[in-house]
Amino acid sequence: MNRRQTLASLFGQSTSTLQAPIETIQSGLEVYAGDWTYAQASHLLRRSTFGVPNDVIQESIAAGLNATIAALFGSKELPDPPINYDYAEDPNVAIGETWVNAAYIARGEVVGYRNRSFAAWQIKVLMEEVPSIREKMTLFWHNHFSIANVNDPKFVYQYITLLRTYSTGNFRQLIKDIIIEPAMLRFLNGNQNTVESPNENFGRELLELYTIGKGPQVGPGDYTNYTEQDVREVSRALTGWRDLGYLSPNENSEVRSFFRTLRHDTGDKTLSHRFNNSVISNAGEDEYKNMVDLIFQQAEVARFISRKLYRWFVYYHIDETVEANIIEPMAQMLIENDYNIAPVLQALLSSQHFYDALNMGPMIKNPMDFSIGLFRQNQVTIPGTVLQQYPFYLTLYSFIGTMDMNYFNPPSVAGWKAYYQEPGFYRIWINSSTLRPRMLLTDVFSTVGLRARNGEQMVIDIFEIVAALSNPIDPNVLITELADLYFPLGINEEQLSNLKEVLIPGLPDFEWTLEYNKYLENPNDEEIRISVEVKLRTLLRTMLTMPEFYLS
Amino acid sequence: MQRRNFIKSAGTAMTLPLLFNGMRLSAINQPSLFSEMNPDNDKVLVLIQLNGGNDGLNTLVPLDQYDTLVNLRSNVILPESSLLTVTDKIAFHPNMGSMKSLYEDGKLGMVQSVGYPNQNRSHFRSMDIWQSGSPADQSWTTGWLGRYFENDHPAFPEGYPNDTYADPFAITLGSVVSETCQGVGANFSMTLNDPFSLSPLAESGGTANTDTPYGKELDFLKTTIAQSNQYAANITTAAEKGNNMVEYPQSSLAEQLKNIALLVSGGLKTKVYIASIGGFDTHANQVEDGDTTVGDHASLLLNLSESMAAFQADLQALGIEERVLGITFSEFGRQIRSNFSLGTDHGTAAPLFIFGSCANSTILGDNPEITPDVQVQEGVPMQYDFRDVYGSVLQDWFELSESSIQSLLHADYQRLPIIQNCSLATSTDDPILEEVQLTAFPNPLRGQTTIQFSSRGGHIRLSIFNAMGSELEVLINKTLPKGDHQINWSAQRWPAGNYYYRLQEGPSQRTKRLILVN
Repeated sequence: MNRRQTLASLFGQSTSTLQAPIETIQSGLEVYAGDWTYAQASHLLRRSTFGVPNDVIQESIAAGLNATIAALFGSKELPDPPINYDYAEDPNVAIGETWVNAAYIARGEVVGYRNRSFAAWQIKVLMEEVPSIREKMTLFWHNHFSIANVNDPKFVYQYITLLRTYSTGNFRQLIKDIIIEPAMLRFLNGNQNTVESPNENFGRELLELYTIGKGPQVGPGDYTNYTEQDVREVSRALTGWRDLGYLSPNENSEVRSFFRTLRHDTGDKTLSHRFNNSVISNAGEDEYKNMVDLIFQQAEVARFISRKLYRWFVYYHIDETVEANIIEPMAQMLIENDYNIAPVLQALLSSQHFYDALNMGPMIKNPMDFSIGLFRQNQVTIPGTVLQQYPFYLTLYSFIGTMDMNYFNPPSVAGWKAYYQEPGFYRIWINSSTLRPRMLLTDVFSTVGLRARNGEQMVIDIFEIVAALSNPIDPNVLITELADLYFPLGINEEQLSNLKEVLIPGLPDFEWTLEYNKYLENPNDEEIRISVEVKLRTLLRTMLTMPEFYLS
Repeated sequence: MQRRNFIKSAGTAMTLPLLFNGMRLSAINQPSLFSEMNPDNDKVLVLIQLNGGNDGLNTLVPLDQYDTLVNLRSNVILPESSLLTVTDKIAFHPNMGSMKSLYEDGKLGMVQSVGYPNQNRSHFRSMDIWQSGSPADQSWTTGWLGRYFENDHPAFPEGYPNDTYADPFAITLGSVVSETCQGVGANFSMTLNDPFSLSPLAESGGTANTDTPYGKELDFLKTTIAQSNQYAANITTAAEKGNNMVEYPQSSLAEQLKNIALLVSGGLKTKVYIASIGGFDTHANQVEDGDTTVGDHASLLLNLSESMAAFQADLQALGIEERVLGITFSEFGRQIRSNFSLGTDHGTAAPLFIFGSCANSTILGDNPEITPDVQVQEGVPMQYDFRDVYGSVLQDWFELSESSIQSLLHADYQRLPIIQNCSLATSTDDPILEEVQLTAFPNPLRGQTTIQFSSRGGHIRLSIFNAMGSELEVLINKTLPKGDHQINWSAQRWPAGNYYYRLQEGPSQRTKRLILVN
C-alpha cells in the first residue's frame, strides 16, 4: 500500500482519486462521492466555521454532506448590536443599551468605550454563532476589504454589518455598496476625491485588490489586467462622494454617504485596451455602478475572487492543475450565477477536491480560528450575564492581538499577509513572537483559566469535556477521540503512547480506568477529583501545545 | 601609511584581503569550504523600513528646484525659511535636525533618487521588489539577504543552530519576519518583540511525513518551535549582558533600535536586524492646513531622526560604533505634484540614508531636475538602482565578492562609494565621482535628439525613462573606450511629454530630463 492509499484508507475514501501522482491533486469541482465519516465532516466544519464540538460533528455525520451544507448556508438573523457594558457617563447610551445609532459627545472616552465594546462584541458574535459559514465569510470580506484606523466605531459597525449581510451574497452588488460605504470613503480618501483634485487611492485599490487584481507588469504602467490609465479614469468616475456623520455629536445625524454633483467629474472616462477602450460617460451618482458593471465584464474578476476563496478555504498553493480544475470552473460558475457567491462556495465545499486526502490538514489556523476554536471545540462558554461577559471577550480579543491578528485592524489595505504573501502564506502566522501567546493561551485555557480585565476568572470544567467522549474510562479512547477533535489527522501509535505517558506515566492502561471510575463513583470526594483533574489538565495542555493543533 | 593605502599601492587591493580570509585557520571549521562569510567579520547591518512610500521631496529638499516645486506642491511644500540647509543645493526637513547633526559628524550619507527601472506603484509589489531585490518584471520568492545567507548555509534550517552558528542570522523586530531574509528552505530571520520575555516553548515528538502538504506544514511548525527555543537562550543571555547608555525617545522605532543596541552590545552574533516604522503613505493630511511644517510626515521624520540619533549615540557610548551600519528604505517616493488632500500619491524614486560611523558621509547624486510642466502622476526619476546600494553593502560591509553579488542581485552591479573608513574588504580608495558629461541636443526635441557623453573607459548603460519611471529603451549597454561618444534617440513612437535619459558608468550615474514635443 503506497502512502496515498494509506491516507485514503485512513479516511475511508473511495479509490477513485488514487490514480493521481503524489503532490498533484487532480480532483476537481465534481461532487464528492466518497464516504462521509468523522474525517470529512470535521474537515468541512473546521474550515467553514470557527470550530464545533464533538456532538455537532456527530450530527453532521448522521445528516450527510448536503444537509450539513444546507445548514451552514441557512439564513439567519443578524446578531444583536453591541452594547454599552461599562461606561456610565454617556448621556446618550445607558448601560446595557446599544450605541450604534447614538450621537457622540465631545469627549474622547465615549469613542474609547464604544471601541472596547465593539471589539468585545465581535468576539462574542464569533463565540456564540450557531454553526454557520457566515462568520468565516465575514472575516474573509474584512480581509478582502481591509480597513483600519477609521476610529469611529459607528462607521465600522455599519461597514461590518454590510459585509455580514452579504457574506455569501452577490459579489458585484457588494462592491457597489462598499464603494460608497462611509467607512471605506474615509479609509481610502474617497471622500476627498473630487473633480478639481482627484485622489486615486481608492480607484487603485478597487482594481488592484478588490476586483480584477494586478497581473505582471508587461509594459509601462500596464499590469496585464489594467493600466495606470484605468486607475486614473476609474478614480475620476468615483469623484464626488462624501461621508456624513463622522464622530458627530448631533442627535439626528446618521452615518451615510452622499453625492455632490458639483464635485463630480462629468467628462468622459476612457479606459485602456484592457477594458476594450470602453468609455464611461457621465451618469452622476449612478456612474460608479456602470463602472463596476464594466469591470465585471472581465472574466478575470471571477478568477481573482475564486483564487482568494480557494486560499481561504482550501490551501494556499495554486498550481496549474488547480488553476485548470478548480479555479477556472469556479470562475465560470460564478459568472453563470451572476456573481452570487453561495452556489460557487457550496460547490467548492462539496467537491471531490475539497475532500482529497492531500487537502486535509495543511492549513495553519489563523489566530482567530485558533483561539475561538479552542473555546468552541470544547464547548466552553463564558459565564455570567452579558455585562460580565464583555470584559472576558475583550481580554480574548487582546490575546488574539498578541498573536498578530486584530479584528478591525488588519495590517494593511491588502489584508493579512498570510493570504497573499509568497512563499510563506499561512506560515507567516507562526514565528518566535507569535508562538508564545498561542502557547500561553492554551496553557491558560487548560490550567488556570482565562482572567478578564476586571479580575474575574473563568475556569473550564475539564470533566465536562471528557464526559462528552464515547468511552473516557479507556485511556486509548479518551486520547484518540480528543486527538480526532483537535487534530485534522488524529495521532499515530507513537504519539498515543507518548500521550499516555503524560496521562499515566509508567502505568498500565487499567490504572486510568480505576482512577477515573473512582472519581465517577465519588464525584464529591475532593481528593480523588483533584488527582484525576490534574492528570486530565496536563494531558489537555500537552495536546493543545502540539503543532498538530495549529493545523486545520 | 594606512593599511589600505599600503594594500592599494601593492596593487592587490582586490585579492589580498580575500586571500587572507581564505587562509584563516578558523575557516577550516566552517561548514562549507567555499564559504565566503568571514567568520571574524563582526559587522552588523540594520535596516529601517519606512512603510508606505516616503515623500523624498519633503525629506531632502532640492533647493535649486524650490521655486518650481512651490507651484507644483504649494499645499505641502515646506517654507524655505524653515529648512535646515546642508549645502547650497540641499536642505533637510525642519524636523531632521538630529540627522543633520549626524551628517555634520560624518555619520550619515545620502543617495539621491534611488529606485529601479519600471517602477511599480503598488505598495505590495514594490515592497516585494525592494525586499527580494528582483527586477520589476520578475517575481522572486527569496529575499536579498536570504540569498546572501543561503550562499553559505544552503542546508538551513536543518542543523541550525549549531556550535559555530549559535545565534540567529537575522532578527526582525516585531511579529512578522522580514521578507528580505527569506531563503529557499526557510526565513533566516526570527522575530523578536521583547528580548527579556522569552520563555521556552513546548515541543512535541512524532515525525511528520513531508511528502504531503500536511506533513510539510507540520514539519515547518516543529522546526520553528524547536528553533525558537534554542535561539531564545542566547538572546536572553545577550540581553542580560548588554547595555544601553543613552535615553531614547518614546516610540516604537526607538524601542526597536534600543533593543538592537542592547543585543549587539551583549555579544549576540546576529548579522542583520530589521526595524520598521509605518505611516508614510501620506495620501492625505501629510501636512497640516496652514502650517506645512507640522502633520503626519513631520512627526514621522522627527521620530526617524531622533531615534536614529539616539541609536548612534548609544552605539558610540557602548564603543561598538564601528561595527554597525544602517540603511533606510521605502517602497517608492511620491509624486512631484501634491494632491488636493494635503497629501501626495504613489511616485517613483526617493533618497535613501546610510548611517553609522563607517558610512561615507556625502550626498551621492544630483538633485532631481524639476520643470514647471511636470505631468500629473509624474514621480522623481531614478538615478541609482537600489540593488547597487545592497550590493555595495554586501561587498564593503560583509566582504562578499563582486561575482557573488552579481549572481545574488544583478549582472549590471556597480559598486557605490557609500561606505568608508572602517571598510574591511575592498579597502580601495573611493572612486572619484567625476561630473559625468551628459547632454542632449536638441532638447526639447521633436522626433529625435542626439545624446552626447564622455566616458572614462568602461561599461556604459544609457537608457530612456518615461515620467512614470518605466525604462522604455536601453540605448547602450556595453563597454566603451575612453573618450567622447554620441548616440541618436528616435522618439517617434512615444507620445509628447517628459522623459529622462540616464547614464550609468561604474559608480557614476546621472539622470537628466528630455522634453518631447509634437
